[in-house]
Amino acid sequence: MFSRTLLRTINPLRISVRAQSSNALSKAALPFTYSPSGPSAVKYTTQHEWLAAHADGTAFLGITKYASDALGDATYVELPEKETQLEAGEAYGSVESVKSASEVYQPVAGEIIEANDKLESQPQLINSDPLGEGWIARIKIAEPDSLETQEGLLTLEQYERSLKEDE
Amino acid sequence: MRWHHNIDCSIKRPSPPKDTAAMIRSVRFNSTQAGLKKTALHDLHVELGGNMVPFAGYSMPVAYKGQSHIESHRWTRTHAGLFDVSHMLQSTLQGKDAVNFLHKVTPTDFQQLHPGVGTLSVLLNPNGGIVDDTLITKQSAHDFYMVTNAACAERDSQFLVDELKSVADAKWTPITDRSLLALQGPDAHRVLQHVLAWDQSLADLYFGQRRSYKLFNGAYIDVARSGYTGEDGFEVSIPNEDALQFAQSLLDNEMTKPIGLAARDSLRLEAGLCLYGHELDESITPVEAALSWVISKSRRNITEGVKFNGYDKIIDQINNKTHKSLRVGYRYQTKGPAARTGSKIFLPDGKTEVGHVTSGSASPSLDNINIGQGYVLKPHNKRGTNLLVQVRNKLLPIELVKMPFVPSNYYRG
Repeated sequence: MFSRTLLRTINPLRISVRAQSSNALSKAALPFTYSPSGPSAVKYTTQHEWLAAHADGTAFLGITKYASDALGDATYVELPEKETQLEAGEAYGSVESVKSASEVYQPVAGEIIEANDKLESQPQLINSDPLGEGWIARIKIAEPDSLETQEGLLTLEQYERSLKEDE
Repeated sequence: MRWHHNIDCSIKRPSPPKDTAAMIRSVRFNSTQAGLKKTALHDLHVELGGNMVPFAGYSMPVAYKGQSHIESHRWTRTHAGLFDVSHMLQSTLQGKDAVNFLHKVTPTDFQQLHPGVGTLSVLLNPNGGIVDDTLITKQSAHDFYMVTNAACAERDSQFLVDELKSVADAKWTPITDRSLLALQGPDAHRVLQHVLAWDQSLADLYFGQRRSYKLFNGAYIDVARSGYTGEDGFEVSIPNEDALQFAQSLLDNEMTKPIGLAARDSLRLEAGLCLYGHELDESITPVEAALSWVISKSRRNITEGVKFNGYDKIIDQINNKTHKSLRVGYRYQTKGPAARTGSKIFLPDGKTEVGHVTSGSASPSLDNINIGQGYVLKPHNKRGTNLLVQVRNKLLPIELVKMPFVPSNYYRG
């Protein structure tokens, strides 16, 4: 699985999409640098969440640039409690702007092992770097091996395409 | 993620979209949706990057590209914000019985009001409930100018037409050929002064007053020193055909930015002002809404002459404090998710429900601490009372505080 993912990440088409996309993972922040070679997989949902899985079976979660732009200035981020067990599709937190509140959902089943406490004092990281410094939580994935087969998880290209279809 | 969108500045709000994608779709496509009315400035909004949303039957900008909600809000508090409020209904009420009519449908003394002065008032149903809040200006003894809410236009019209049946000489006429623009903020007077003809001055136009002014290009505008932000500012009525050039001339000034509905709502919330459909509705009297000041002293003991709708109930509430709950303002004592419309308010025991939230959000002028308005049962409505507000499964501590939350800067001379 690991090698297959690696192969895909060096697919030239994918690289060009990544270079252009603001919904790609930031290479300078923890969700990427947690593993020296970067995440083993990055997945998206049509609900505008992202997941960056690492080889140790944990994953960082957050919302996409598209979602954070639509939300506007984040004023408060409700962070999950550690050790919470959640199924795919369950809310693990919420992001508030002046005018709206949005729940964020687990893309896959897992246990919360860490929340990004920086968001308590700097909720605006959700806007400035939603796919990097603005990560919301880290989970231990319940079934890391099923990431590639689980329904509803999109690649960056598929996610970008779904945004175009919405237009 | 799922959106609980809260740009619900109208009483006839569309049901909230189920998810982000649906929200963004609706935001994008409703601007071209059939049946939505456009103001004279519609194309300008689009050109300026306005995110157009359906609002009270109009396609209106909720925010503009390149300016976040908070930036727009703070810009208005520090410079000048231009708002298109042409969706609001302008009208005139004319005739010998105009004052008598106003004295039937509002609790405000329009006999004593000086010509050229406007005041906030409320239209009352027979039970003393608020049909709409309105700004009414006396142009002359038998000639009044009114601005009412866009979202209430249909109900107001039906209400006024019904009420007019009992009056001999008063004619109510909606104005459809004029736009309404609000220019708000500490630089508003500089920006507006700059586009007036050389001999025109805003220096002696005080809060509440309304007067005709000549522009540098010879066009005429009607200027009221009023607004909905708590800042000094103006609401300008202008013929539709002159509106675009006028708006452009205001925006040419670098102190001015266009501001959308989102910031309009957070600004009015900080100013402690009511939004119809939230703080006000037909079951709420002006006493309960903490708007007793619109009930003129001279109209509280009527032995002869016209009594306003709901007089007995309202006067009883004033004299005997028979009302059960009152509009209040609150401020969070901690960080947390914002309470929104409908959130329940409890005593510190966390069990006894004593009220509900009518508007709530982070306050951009107060470092994004959460504030809001709501109704709380007596005697728990006193300033300084500590209560709890429920947001989803959390109870968050709030303190009832004085409104406005942010000091007003009206130009009173």
